[in-house]
Amino acid sequence: MEAAFGTRNFSNLNSSDSAISHQRWSPYAFNGGTILAVAGEDFAVIAADTRLSEGFAIHTRDYPKTYQLTDKTVLACAGFHGDVLTMTKVMDWRLKMYEHDHHKKMSSSAIAAMLSTMLYYKRFFPYYVYNIIGGLDENGKGCVYSYDPVGSYEREVFRAAGSAGAILQPLLDNQIGFKNQTGVTHVPLSLNKALELVKDVFISAAERDIYTGDSLIINVVTKDGVKVDRFPLRRD
Amino acid sequence: MSIMQYNGSAIIAMTGKDCVAIASDKRFGIQLQTVAMDFQKIFEIGPHLFIGLSGLATDVQTVAQRIQFRKNLYELRENRKVKPDTLMSMVSNLLYERRFGPYFVEPVIAGLNEKTGKPFIASADLIGCSVILEDFAVAGTCTEQMYGMCESLWVPDMSPDALFECISQALMNAVDRDCVSGWGGVVHVIEKDKVTTRHLKARMD
Amino acid sequence: MNYFQGNLNKADYHDFPQKTVSVNISAKNRTLYPTVTGTSVLGVKFDGGVIIGADNLGSYGSLARFRGCERVMKVNDTTILGASGDYADYQHLKGIIEQKVVTEECLDDGFNLTPKSLFSWLRMLMYSKRSNFDPLWNTTIIGGLENNEPFLGYVDKIGTAYESTAVGTGYGAYIALPLLREATDHKPPLTEQQALDLMEKCFRVLYYRDARSLNKYQVAIVTKDGCRILSDKRVNDDWSIAPMVRGYE
Repeated sequence: MEAAFGTRNFSNLNSSDSAISHQRWSPYAFNGGTILAVAGEDFAVIAADTRLSEGFAIHTRDYPKTYQLTDKTVLACAGFHGDVLTMTKVMDWRLKMYEHDHHKKMSSSAIAAMLSTMLYYKRFFPYYVYNIIGGLDENGKGCVYSYDPVGSYEREVFRAAGSAGAILQPLLDNQIGFKNQTGVTHVPLSLNKALELVKDVFISAAERDIYTGDSLIINVVTKDGVKVDRFPLRRD
Repeated sequence: MSIMQYNGSAIIAMTGKDCVAIASDKRFGIQLQTVAMDFQKIFEIGPHLFIGLSGLATDVQTVAQRIQFRKNLYELRENRKVKPDTLMSMVSNLLYERRFGPYFVEPVIAGLNEKTGKPFIASADLIGCSVILEDFAVAGTCTEQMYGMCESLWVPDMSPDALFECISQALMNAVDRDCVSGWGGVVHVIEKDKVTTRHLKARMD
Repeated sequence: MNYFQGNLNKADYHDFPQKTVSVNISAKNRTLYPTVTGTSVLGVKFDGGVIIGADNLGSYGSLARFRGCERVMKVNDTTILGASGDYADYQHLKGIIEQKVVTEECLDDGFNLTPKSLFSWLRMLMYSKRSNFDPLWNTTIIGGLENNEPFLGYVDKIGTAYESTAVGTGYGAYIALPLLREATDHKPPLTEQQALDLMEKCFRVLYYRDARSLNKYQVAIVTKDGCRILSDKRVNDDWSIAPMVRGYE
C-alpha cells in the first residue's frame, strides 16, 4: 500500500545525477488506518479505526477517520493524513457552497461524483488518500462508493480499504457477497449482522496489521440520521 | 516485481481436533498469464506428513525433490519415519545452506505426530527461519487476504469436516482477491487413520 | 572542479551516518535538507494548562554546535509553541508569528490569535510549502488555553497535524512519549508541578539515550494566569552506575 506512489520520485525534480544518496525529503507520508463501509437495504455502516501512525510510532490513539458530511452521508479516509486534512477541508467548503447556491443538502450520489472530480483535479500531484463514502441514496437505500487516490470510483455494496483493506475484503466477499457459498439463500443483510461482522473483521485486522488498532468508530446511517458507536481494539 | 510473485501461489495449513489440513491453489502462471491449472504445490513426505511450497515454481519443484531426497537418506540411515518437527529442521537447514543465494520458496508443513497423534503445523521464510504454530500458517502471494480469512474463521478443536470447510473457504475467498493465484484448489485433511484429498472447484477467472 | 579522472568523491567510498553531503544543494533546493537542527520537543496537558519543553542544543550534523538555542516561544498570553528540526527555519517562522501577533494587536478588534487558530494557520503554511516543494524543515508543537480548556497540537513539515494529551517529536516520540502517556492515560489530570517533574524526567532519559540532546532545556507553560518560559533548566543526570555497565567495551 505504501508503494502506491513509490514510482513517483518528486525529490528528483531538480537535482542532477549523483551517486550520493541523501535521506530524501518526500511530500508524502503513510499514516495508516483502515476504513470500511457496508450498505444495507435502508442503512449504511461506515467504520474506521482511530489509530494515527507513522513508521513504528503511534502519533495518537484517538483520531477518527470518518467525517460526517451530511445527515445522510459519511466519508471515510485513510492514507497521508496531511492530504486527508486538506481534502476534507476542501470538501466541507464545497458542501457549504452547494448549500448556499441550491438551498438544499447535497445527495450522497452528488457528493460521490464531486469527490471523484476533486481527486482527479489533482491527478498529477495526487491526494494520497483512499476514500470510501457510505450513506443513503435518493431513494433511502444504503449506498457505498469507493475510490482510488486519483478519482476512479464505483458504487458497491461493501468495501474495505486502507492499510488492512486486503485483510478485511475477502471475508466481506464471503459473508455479505456469499462468495464461494453454494446452496444458501441470499437473505438481505440485517443491521445487526453488519455490525457484528464489522467488529469481527476489525478485531482480525488489529491482530495482524500494526497500523490498525486502538479503537473502532462505527457510523450507522439510517433515515433518522447518523449514530456513532465506539468499540475498543487492541492497543499494541 | 518480486521474484516471489512471478508465478503466483497460495498455501494454508490449519489445525483441528486430532487432525490437520493443508491446502493450496493449483495455478501455474508467468506473471499475469496463466499457463496451467493443475500445478502441484503440496507434496506428501510421509503417511501423515505434507509440505506445501509457495513461491517461484522452478524452485518449488527443485526444493520438493531435494527434500524428498534428504528424507529418503534420513529414513535409510535412521531406519524410521521422519517426524514433522524433524522435517521442519531438515527444510530449514536445506534453505539456510543457500543463505546468500536462496531458493525463492516459503514452505508450510502440516502433519500428525506418528506416536502422539498431535497436530503439527509450521512455516518458514525463504532462508529457513521457521516457526511452529498452534492455529494456522499461510504462505504465497495473498498472505494478507489469507490472514484475514483465517483470523476470522479459525476456531480451536474443529472436526475434520469443519476443518475442511474452514480451510477451503479461507483459501478460495483469499485467492479470489489475488490476480496471480487460484484457478482451482486442493485440500488434504490428515487424520490418524486416513488422509482425505479433495479438489476444489473454484472461480477460473 | 575535477582534479582527477573518474569520480573520486570520498563520500562514495565511506558511509557517513545521516550523510547530508553538500553536493547538489543549491539555493533553490537547500530547504530540502536541514542544517542546524534541534532534537525532540515534548508537550503535555495538565490540570488547567499546557507545558511544552525543548532542550537548548543546536546540532550541526553530529557536531554539538550551539548550546544556547531557545526553541520554545511565547506567542501571546494564551499560546506557546516549540519546534524541532531546522533552526534557521524555526527563527524564520518565529519572525512571521511575532509579526502576526503584532498585526492582530494593532487591529484591536477584541480578537487575538488562539492556539487553535495558530494551529490551523501553521498547518496550512506547512502544507502549502510542502506542496510547492519548499518545506520548512520543522515539527512544531503548539499549546495553550482555548476557552479555558487546555489545547495541545502537533504540526509537521508535510502538513500532518493532530491534537493529543501528550505529544513528542523526533526521538522524543520513541523515548519520552511512552513516559508521558503512562502518566496521562486513564489517569486523573496532572498538576502543574507533576507536569514539570515529568518534563525533567523525560529530558533526563532523552539526555541519556539521544546522542543529539543536551542536559540544558527550557519549558513554556500556559495557565489561566498567563504564560511563562522557564529557562536554564538542567536535568539531574546521574552517571554513577555508568562504570558498572559491562559488555560495550
